[in-house]
Amino acid sequence: MSIVLSEEIADKLDDSLHKLIEESGATYAMLTDMGGNLLSKAGDEDFDGAALAVLTAANFAATKEIASLIGEKDFSLLFHRGENENVHFTKITTEIILIVLFKPYLSLGLLRLKVDGIKDELNEILEA
Amino acid sequence: MAIINFKEKIIQIKIVYYGPGRSGKTTNLQYLYNSLKEKFKDDLPSKLITIDTQGDRTLFFDFFPIELGKINGLDLKLQLYTTPGQVMYESTRRLVLKGVDGVVFVADSLASREEANLDSFQNLKDNLQHHKLTLNDIKLVFQWNKRDLEKNGIPLLDSETMDKQLNSELRTKAFPSSATDGTNVFKTLNVAAKMTVESVIEKLLDQKQNLPN
Repeated sequence: MSIVLSEEIADKLDDSLHKLIEESGATYAMLTDMGGNLLSKAGDEDFDGAALAVLTAANFAATKEIASLIGEKDFSLLFHRGENENVHFTKITTEIILIVLFKPYLSLGLLRLKVDGIKDELNEILEA
Repeated sequence: MAIINFKEKIIQIKIVYYGPGRSGKTTNLQYLYNSLKEKFKDDLPSKLITIDTQGDRTLFFDFFPIELGKINGLDLKLQLYTTPGQVMYESTRRLVLKGVDGVVFVADSLASREEANLDSFQNLKDNLQHHKLTLNDIKLVFQWNKRDLEKNGIPLLDSETMDKQLNSELRTKAFPSSATDGTNVFKTLNVAAKMTVESVIEKLLDQKQNLPN
């Protein structure tokens, strides 16, 4: 089954991502599905967004295999620390991933709180 | 799984190049990428992403997005992937098939690779099954690759034999090709893209009709 995003739903997703960026101070946020299809994005993008979506899906798929190797069902959260940018990945539904880019001076705890706060909202929009 | 975004006016479709190890899946994508890069110079918006081992074998996948003009006012974006062909990379091969809409099966024309083609085709069916799909749920086009080796006197399977062995069930389009010199590389993609887009749109119309009012 294909995913069809109406203008209304796409707008709502964009608004939620913008709100997340504003409230958390993150640089960039993106929603992608497990097949690597970009659904929505907000923030400054000076890189190839389509590639980020695809590599994120692949990253999740690979870590899922790691999870099953050590007897876990899944990892619902991934975090990569960089010198100038950090990346935080969270599963919103079984099929959708939220990617947030943020500067190392931002607190990871605060970002997690804000991401948790927006998870239900995104879920509701996606289920509509 | 195709995605349609009415806000961005995009329809996005996933096509996977499948086939045995060393049959030329990555070479297909490299040829497409290099030709487009030459044509558009620095204006080509997307890059070829390759995750491979230190040798030239694909470890995870290659990925290359192409924009193919408009269809019903929507920008058509093709996401092209290859799978790792080597038998040991089973789990990653399965992962790349997630959400696939169309497959280009790149078969190796070398006579010595006859069995590898058959094994890989069976493997494709098994891995589709893992995603609860059959060959009937997707569109597939065959490519009989490495035809250029014929002139070097290397023993190849003839196209009829390959067609009989792999395509007797599906009776779909098949193209003799050479991914190294580019023979039928664009043609294969064009036909695969056209068939896949048509079937995705057909499925979407069905999906729409079946929605409760």
